[in-house]
This record gives sequence, structure tokens and C-alpha cells, in this order.
Amino acid sequence: MAIAHAAPLLSVRGLTRRFGGLTAVDAIDLDLAKGELVSIIGPNGAGKTTLFNLVTGLDRPDAGNVSFEGQDVTGLSPETLAAEGIARTFQLGRVFGNLSVMDNVLIGAHTRLRAVKPAVPLIGPLLELGLALLRPASVKVEEEQLRKEVKVILSRFGERLLPRIDQPAYSLSYANRRRVEIARALALKPRLLLLDEPTAGMNPTETAEMQALVAELKAEGLTILLIEHKLEMVMRLSDRVIVMDEGKKIAEGAGEQVRTDPKVIEAYLGHGLSDAADQQESAA
Amino acid sequence: MSSWLDYTINGLIVGNVYALVAVGLALIFGVSRLINFAQGSIYLVGAYIGWVAVVQLHTPLPLTIIVVAVAAALVGLIIERFGLRPLQNSVRIAPLLATIGISFVLDQLVMLTFSPNPRALPSQLPDVRFQIGGGTIEPLDLLIAGVGLTSALLLFVFLRYTKLGWAVRATAQDRDAAMQMGVDVNRVNQAVFGIAAALGGVSGLLVGMYYNQIDTAMSLQATLKGVVAEVVGGAGNVPGAVIGSLLLGLVESYGVAAFGTSYRNLFAFLLLVVVLVLRPNGLFASARQAPPEPLTGTFIAPSRPVRIPRWALLVVLGVFAILPLLPVSLYVLQTLINAWLLGMLALSLTLVAGTIGQVSLGHAALLAIGAYTSALLSLTFSVPVGFAIIGGGLMSAALGTALISPSFRLRGHYVSIATLAIGEIVSLVILNWEGVTRGPIGVSGIPPLSLFGYELISPTSIYWFSFVVMVVLALLQARLLGSHLGRSFRAIRDDDVAARAYGLSLNRYKSLAFIFGGFAAGISGGIAAHLYSYINHETFNTQQSILALTVVILGGLGNVVGAVVGSVALVGLPEVFRIAAEYRILIYGIVLLLLVRFRPQGLLGTI
Amino acid sequence: MSNIDRRTLVKGSLAAMTAGAAMSRGAFAQSSEPILLGVSGPLTGPNAQYGTQWKQGFDLALDEILAAGGINGRKLAYSFEDSQSDPRQSVAIAQKFVSDPRIVMELGDFSSTASMAASPIYQRGGLVQFGFTNSHPDFTKGGDFMWSTSVSQADEQPLLAQYAVRRLGLKKLAVLHLNTDWGRTSRDYFVKAAKEYGAEVAVTEGYIAEERDFRSTLVRVRDANPDGLILVSYYSDGALIARQARQVGLKQTICAASSVYSPKFLELGGDAVEEVHLGTRYFPEDPRPEVQKFIAGFKKKYNGQEPDAFNAYSYDAMNMAAAIVKIGGTDRRAIRDAFTKVKDVPSVIFGKATFDVESRRVKGAMNAELVVRKGQFALWDGKPT
Repeated sequence: MAIAHAAPLLSVRGLTRRFGGLTAVDAIDLDLAKGELVSIIGPNGAGKTTLFNLVTGLDRPDAGNVSFEGQDVTGLSPETLAAEGIARTFQLGRVFGNLSVMDNVLIGAHTRLRAVKPAVPLIGPLLELGLALLRPASVKVEEEQLRKEVKVILSRFGERLLPRIDQPAYSLSYANRRRVEIARALALKPRLLLLDEPTAGMNPTETAEMQALVAELKAEGLTILLIEHKLEMVMRLSDRVIVMDEGKKIAEGAGEQVRTDPKVIEAYLGHGLSDAADQQESAA
Repeated sequence: MSSWLDYTINGLIVGNVYALVAVGLALIFGVSRLINFAQGSIYLVGAYIGWVAVVQLHTPLPLTIIVVAVAAALVGLIIERFGLRPLQNSVRIAPLLATIGISFVLDQLVMLTFSPNPRALPSQLPDVRFQIGGGTIEPLDLLIAGVGLTSALLLFVFLRYTKLGWAVRATAQDRDAAMQMGVDVNRVNQAVFGIAAALGGVSGLLVGMYYNQIDTAMSLQATLKGVVAEVVGGAGNVPGAVIGSLLLGLVESYGVAAFGTSYRNLFAFLLLVVVLVLRPNGLFASARQAPPEPLTGTFIAPSRPVRIPRWALLVVLGVFAILPLLPVSLYVLQTLINAWLLGMLALSLTLVAGTIGQVSLGHAALLAIGAYTSALLSLTFSVPVGFAIIGGGLMSAALGTALISPSFRLRGHYVSIATLAIGEIVSLVILNWEGVTRGPIGVSGIPPLSLFGYELISPTSIYWFSFVVMVVLALLQARLLGSHLGRSFRAIRDDDVAARAYGLSLNRYKSLAFIFGGFAAGISGGIAAHLYSYINHETFNTQQSILALTVVILGGLGNVVGAVVGSVALVGLPEVFRIAAEYRILIYGIVLLLLVRFRPQGLLGTI
Repeated sequence: MSNIDRRTLVKGSLAAMTAGAAMSRGAFAQSSEPILLGVSGPLTGPNAQYGTQWKQGFDLALDEILAAGGINGRKLAYSFEDSQSDPRQSVAIAQKFVSDPRIVMELGDFSSTASMAASPIYQRGGLVQFGFTNSHPDFTKGGDFMWSTSVSQADEQPLLAQYAVRRLGLKKLAVLHLNTDWGRTSRDYFVKAAKEYGAEVAVTEGYIAEERDFRSTLVRVRDANPDGLILVSYYSDGALIARQARQVGLKQTICAASSVYSPKFLELGGDAVEEVHLGTRYFPEDPRPEVQKFIAGFKKKYNGQEPDAFNAYSYDAMNMAAAIVKIGGTDRRAIRDAFTKVKDVPSVIFGKATFDVESRRVKGAMNAELVVRKGQFALWDGKPT
């Protein structure tokens, strides 16, 4: 297993988030080394998505901290974390419905725009407006390059997305929307990728394709944190597996080792591995 | 000081009056997540039905109340069944617009039936007065308080402890889940609209008796104050609405006490903005809640914009450009000048409401800022008119964006409410800041339009000037939409959570949208000021804001060509309907309703 | 004029509009077509009630003019365009009237915003804009085509001040005024005059037109401890203030501007407006023949309804327009010049109206000091209340 000796890329200590009387995430510790793929599993309502929200800055923890590449990033805004190279997909599939596939993926590259976003303090936004209207050669070149890159990224999905590149995202199938989300995340050139149930709602063929893609990304050296219900996929892809239940980490280790853990079995039996959406989880 | 007791009592008395409307609004918001802009119209209908009952049928008070409640409930049921239920699966903005359309229709029907003259609605309670502090209260005060509190209490009990109430709450929490659990959502909605309307009607009756006066203008004011009170108390929170109303009454009363009458509404709207910024879920919402469900793809209608071939656009552009050379009357040109001015405002609004999804109901404030800046620059500092107008645009961009920035952290309908309040605040500041704006007297003798020293006074030259300015602004906006900014704006509109996760700063891009849009609106206001030669705080009013929003919806949100087409249509249609005289606003309301019902994405589609 | 007549007229003007300015003006000179006046005013929107009142006054005047033989044998008529008192619509209407060769003169608009926004178009188009409710001091400064019979507040308010201070003996005053250009101008003239008469103005409060709750304002007034309240109000808000003044325990004398003079003021105010003093330009028992003719005619035409101030303004305006057209004919410039020539037109408001050519307004409004007694307006008998 490829556990790096240097400081981990992502390190989470004692992360806690409460909603009213409920502790959705309860003192979670987590380390992720460069190039590692760690899966988080657990019954619905275990707090997995809330944990993702805390790591990506969409929600603020009540206690604990998150560090990325050795820097404390607890409570930073999602914009800042995106600029740091953290990209994610969403459980419910949040594409920009009225944007074309091309534009959706281009948004993924937003943090990498340079020519049109001069790093001048205060008047930076106004310059951005001016450059967007004037569009000097440098801006055009950058835009063209990104568009080419988008096509390369989309080609990873075979003929699924490329023929639909100018269609609005709302017109796509459910599975294709998930693919657009992943393409968008890749356009950010992430250093850490968080995938929230990338195969939800997919049929076996589509799931297999997705599994192959994730494996490919891992092979390219991308660090990935994965939430997934399909255990077979988890077992095949993961370097390590973390099991959560009622906000707590109840087990951590290699796939097979976790799978036979009596606590894990009990958690799954006790709550049932149902598909019914849990309020807390889906609201988060 | 004993006066403070009087101010407190007066604040509570008027708060009572607000509460009657606010409770109905809160109930509807609680279930439908809808701010019912027609609530004030139901209140109006109730007042006039009450007038018929009291003055013509001589019914005793209990019977009057029952008659009004039943009749108003019927109106509510009709609104729900034919106005709102068809929009159930429509975009979120559709029902909001539908209630605005319904309110136009109801107000006009009342006006046409009863004439716009105010009428006396005598109280049917004994004329006894009780001394409290320096003033007196009468039985009607107690009845109003009783109705407000009792209805809030009854609703609270109903929601908590009855089966239908449980269904109502379940529907409010999660409509789909409630439907799966076997709740008949339509029945729930019917019940809620019926109750809220009955309450609205009775409040119109009681308030009409309280002032011994009813008129058709009471509708909008009731809605405005009711909405403020409801949002302050926490939208959808019935007891909160009562407390919010009393608080609003007190704040206004103390505001009058401390600063004078002309500041009264300023305090009402400032209270609203402060509450929205500090506690967007109202004063009585629990502290921290789960992040709200995103509005992915549901706020804006999924739409494929109509593609208009470039040659067709060029031909139409060409025809309008040479129009003054053709034998058309100056009246047509003047009407089109109005359309171009409205077009600039609509371009601005379609950018902020359509492209970046901040549905502003206070957009006329940007016109006012541009107009006053340009007028005062040219009058006081003798700045040439051309530069003064550009100054107006810049001031509107800068000041407008700064004023609206508190609403950047809000979403959905709250943005509309906040911008409505900010628009009112701008108008009230113009009214009160006499040193600069000349207050109610207004600014007169504004020099006419001129360019490079040549005065543009013939309708033909004004036509060309405003047409060229609008076309340039439209082209700039089209270019903006084609850039990465257009993409970013639209992404924020479609899903602000996902947009943030990809590094888009909401504040930065909303500001940029308002800066660009504010400039266009400011230019429009500036030109209007020099065209009219006289402006005051009423020149650019809420009706302008609503008209602009209708234009934007009609044309298609975010659609540049749509904004211009919509402006020509909505300036032109009322002129064509002049034959219908008194009926034209009614027709306008019906057209708006039909549009929302059958083509929510607008004529040319959302971009 | 019935509704249907007006509609056909409007249709006619639309047709003329499309025909454009090509039509020669002379074509109408000898025709049997009515001489047409344009009216721009609110029929819908928040000020709709005033447009409705205008029509009543216009129609009564037109009936009388027709009965007296019309204008040199020709009928006088008007085309009423609804502006909603919105400047955007009033400018379009202005251009429409200017472009329509049948329109010889324009009357209106109601609000200053709508009227003064349209002034440049009338001025440049050479069509008289005759604003008969436009008291804004700058209205007639828009150009030599702007004329007004609206009573200048510089004239009216000293009369009210005289009534309140000299005649009623009030020494310490509280002024409540509509916070509009009219209310504000009136307040300033009133305060100036009241001070000249030796009274002290303890407090002035401006309120917006939509306001209905005045209790807190009135507590403020009470704390200033005046011996009289001055209302620069319209009848609906005036009635509200009078009612609420009694509710907060104010028992001081109330004295109101002529704009509250309306039967509606009595209806809406009820007992609370009893003993309210007001200065008006005319009153029912006024023996002047033009007043008696107006009131009798109005009651007859409108089922016994009592006329109010806005009915009188529009009635007077139409009579003035007839007198002007008799002199000026149908040429627009001649009509402008006729304003300088017309003399002593019988008027409810002025007795005999003659324009001051310098200010393009009429000076010397009639004054009557009334008080509400037993639910009726009555001439004040000089007895203290």
C-alpha cells in the first residue's frame, strides 16, 4: 500500500458538527496521504456527506480542525478551498441545469483562470469586468486552451458526453449528469478529489464504467476520498475503508478487515442498508 | 415621560393592525413557501364586501364578520384552485409573479365595481372610549387585538394538534414526502388559502371600520407592511408574525417619536433589512440550522432560448434605426423612446434577476440614483449633460451595488423582499434628504439632453439618442454574457452552493452584475431626468420596478433581446389598450397571469 | 358625455395619430366636428379618484356650454387619456396630443411629476398645457405655453393663516402636511404668513400620502402643546387625522386647507370633524350666481351629490377653456395668446378670473371661512368654538 511517509495531504482531527440535539459528525479523525484512495461507508444518516461539507468548507464545524498540506484550513470558505485544489461532486448531482455541458465543465476550471482575473487588490474585480468585455488576445487564448482541455476531459467518458457538449445539463440523463459533475471536478485539476456516491442511480454497466474511471484516476496519482454504497466497488478501489455510524468512526482499515468487523455488521443490520433517503443526510 | 407610554400603546395598536395581515401571510408561507402578494387584495375585497354588508344590507356585526369571512375564503379558494395550483410543478418564481398578477386583477375589479373614491365604513361597535395614558382606546382596538391573537393561537393549536394541521406541517417540511405519506397536498393548500383569505378579509373589514375609511389604494400598503412584519417575525412562523407586527408597530411609533413623521417608513424598512441581514430566518428562528436545500434548477425554468438568426436581428435593428425617416407619427416615436428607456432598465434587471438570479423588486431605485445624480450634476455643477448622464450611470453602479450588497447573502424570495425594502429606503431618503435632493419639491428645470453642445430636443433626435444608447448597452451585455463572467453568473444562479465549491465568490460576482446592471439603469434614469426636466421622489416608484420585472419575465430571464422585445411590448400594449381606458390594468394583470401559466420561461426563453 | 362617446373619440384620435401630421389643420376650421381638448389625467392607479372627479366637473361645464350654443356654433369636447399620473405615460400622451391636429389645447395632468415631465413636449410642440391643479411653483416656469388656474399657494396660505391666527386667535400652531411638493410649498407659505401675523409654529410634521396611522404623530403634536392644529391635507387624510386627534386626546381647534372641502370629508370624518375650520374658495350658501349655478347644476346632473373642490376646479377649467377657445379659435398659437386677452371669466374659485400674464396664473382667489357644524359646512359666524 502506498502510504506516504511525509505529512498527509489531508488531516482531520476531532471534527464535530451538531444539528440541534443530533451530532451528525462526532469527533472524526482522518488522514489521507498523497495518491491514496480512502472510502467512507456507513448507513444513511451516518454523517458522511456532512463530513464532506465540513472538509470542503460548505459547512463549519463546531469543534475540531481540518488541515490540507499541513496548513490549517478549518472554516475557510469553499471558494478558498477550491483555489487550494480541493474538488468535489455532490450526492444529489448538482450540475448547473441551464448551462451547456461545455460551460459546466469550464466552471470547473474557474480557479485556474489567470489572464482574465488579474491578481490586483481592490480593483481586481473591475479589471476582470473590463477584460471580459474587451477580451484581449491573452484572454481569448486562455479560453481556447480551456475549451480544448474540456474536450479532452470529456473524451474520458467515451461517447457519453462529447456529442452532447452544447446541450443544457438539465436535458441529460441522470447518469450523464453525474459524469458532467466528475468532468467538472477534473477540470479544476484537483489535488484532492471528493466523490459523493458517484454511481448512485447507475445501472451495472454504467457502474462498471465509473469504477474503471476512478481506478484510472487513482492510477494517475490523484488523491481521492470516496463515499460509496456499492461495497464491491469500495473493496476493489480502496486503499483503506472508514466506516461511520451515527456520526462516529466505528472502524477503519483495509477492506476485508473492515468487512468482517462485528461492529460494522451490527451497524448495517441495526439500521438496514436501505435506499430511502435520510432527512439529515439529504438536507445537508 | 408619560408620552412614552402613549407611543408604546400607539405602536401596539398599529402593530395589531399589521398582525392581521401578517398572520395570513405567515400561514401561506409556512405551507407553500410563497409570499402571497395578493393578501392585501383579499384584505381590500373583504373591506368592500363588509361595506356592502354594513351600509347596504345593514347586517349586525357578527353576521358581517361571517359574511366577509366566507366570501373572502371563497376568493382564496378560487385563487388557489385557478391561480396557483396549476403552477405547482412550475418554477419557484412563477407563483410569486402569479400573486402579483392576481393582486392587480382583484384591485382593479374592486376599483371598477366601487369607483376609486374612498368610502366610509362605520364601526358597528358602541362608541365607548377607555382612557389609557394620555389617549383613549375603543372596543374596536380590543376586537382587532382579540382577532389577531385568537387567530394566531387557534392556528397554532390547529397546526400542532389536529390531523389536518399535522398534514399542513408535513407539507411545509417536505411536500414530496408528505404526498408519499398519503397527505392530500391539494386539500391542505385549499384549507390554508381558505383560512388565510378569511382572515385577510376580516382584517380588511376591521381595519376599514377602525379608520372609518376604505379605498382601493389600501391593498399595496397592507401587503407591504404585512410582508415586513412577517419576515421580521420569521417567515412561516405564525406566532412570530404577531410578535413581528407588534415590534414593527413599536419601531415605527418610537421612530416617529424620536425623529418625526416623515421618517416612519424608513424605520420600517430599515428594520426589515437589518433583520434579514443579521437573522435571515427571522428573529424567532432557531439559531443555526442545517444548510438549506439548494434550489438546483428549480428557480429558473429549464428552457431552450429561441435562437433568432443574426440577419433577422439586423433587419429589425435597421428598421428601428430608420424609423424616424419613415412617415410615422411623433407619438409613436415618443412611445418608443419610453420603450428604449425601459429597455435599458430591463437589460439591467434581466442581468441581475435573470442571469445571476437576484430577483430585485427595488430596481427603480437605481433609476432614481442615476436620475438625481445626472440632474444635480448638470444643474449644480454645470457638468455637460452627456457627462452628467455617464456620471449618473457610474453613481448608480457604485451606490446601487453598495446599497444592495446586504442582500447578497440571501436567497430566493428573501432577495426580492430585501431589494423591495432597499428600493423603498432609497425613495424615502430622497424624500427626506432635502439639502441634496430638494425633498418633496423635486428638481425642476433640468436642462434638456445635449450632445457635444447640440441640444437634442426634437423627438427624432431623442429617439435616435436613446435607441443608440440602448443598443450599445445591449451589445455590451451580450458580449458580457459570452465571456467567462456570463458563464459564472449563470452558474451562481443555477446552483450557488456548487458554484462556491468551484471557487466562485458570490459577493464578487453579484457585485459585478449589479455594477454592470446599475450602470445601465443609471443611464436610463439620467436620460429620463433630462427628458422630463422635472423629477421628484415619486417619479421612479415601485410600480416601475414591478413593470421592469414583468418585462424581464415576458422576454425571458437573462435574455438580452427578450428584455428589449418585452419593453416594446409592455410600453406598447398599454398604449394600444388606451381604447380600453379603465380596463387596461385589468387586462395587463390577466396577460401577466396567462404568461406565467403558459410560458413561464418567457417569449424568447431563459438564457 | 357618455362613456361611448368618449371611446369613439379616442378611436378617432388613434386613427388621426396613424394618419400623422400630414392632415392639414385648416381642414377642421369650418367643419361640424367638435373642437377637441386633450385631457391627460389619472383614471386608474393610486390617484384614479381625482380623474373621476375631473370628468364630473368637465361634463357639467360642457352641458352648459352646449346649451348656451357651444363655441360659435361648434360643440366643445375632450379626449381623456389615462396617464395614471405617471410621467412616462404623460409624456407619450403629450406627444400624442401634440401630433394630433384636432387637439387645440391640453388640460392636466394631475400630479406635478406627470405634468412637469410633459411640459417640455407641450412647450416645444406649441400646444398649451393648461394645468388647473398644478400648484407647484415651477409649473408655469416651464414655458409660455404653460398656464394654470390652480390657486397659488402663495395666495391661499396667507388666507388660511389669517383665518387661524387673526380670526380664530390661535397663537401656537402645529402644522401637519402632506409631504408632497404641494404640501411642502403650502406649509412654507403658511408658516411664513402665520409668523407675520404673530403666531408661533411649534412643530411641523410631513406625512406620506399612503399614511393612515397618525396617533404617534399626534402625540408628538400634543407634546409641543399648541393651541391649534393646521392640516395641509386632502379630505381622506384630513378626516383620518381629525378622528385620531380626538383619540389621542387632542381637543385643540383644527383648521384645514381648502383641499379638504368635500362632502367626503364629512362622511369619512363623522363626529370627529365637527368644529373643524376651513378656508374655501366657495361654499353652498355663497350667493354668487356662478356658485349657485354650479351647485344646482351639479346636484341635478349627479343625483343630488354635493360637489367638492376638485369638481369645482375642473368645472372652472372647462369654462375657462371655452372662453379661451372663443377668443383664440382653433389655432394653437392664437389660443396661447388668448390666455393674455381673456378677461373676467365667471369662476367658482375666483369669482372673475383673469390671468396675470407675468406668472401665467390667476390671482385673487375667493375666500370663505367655513366651519363644520352638525355635519354640514357652514359659514363661520365668528363665534369661538
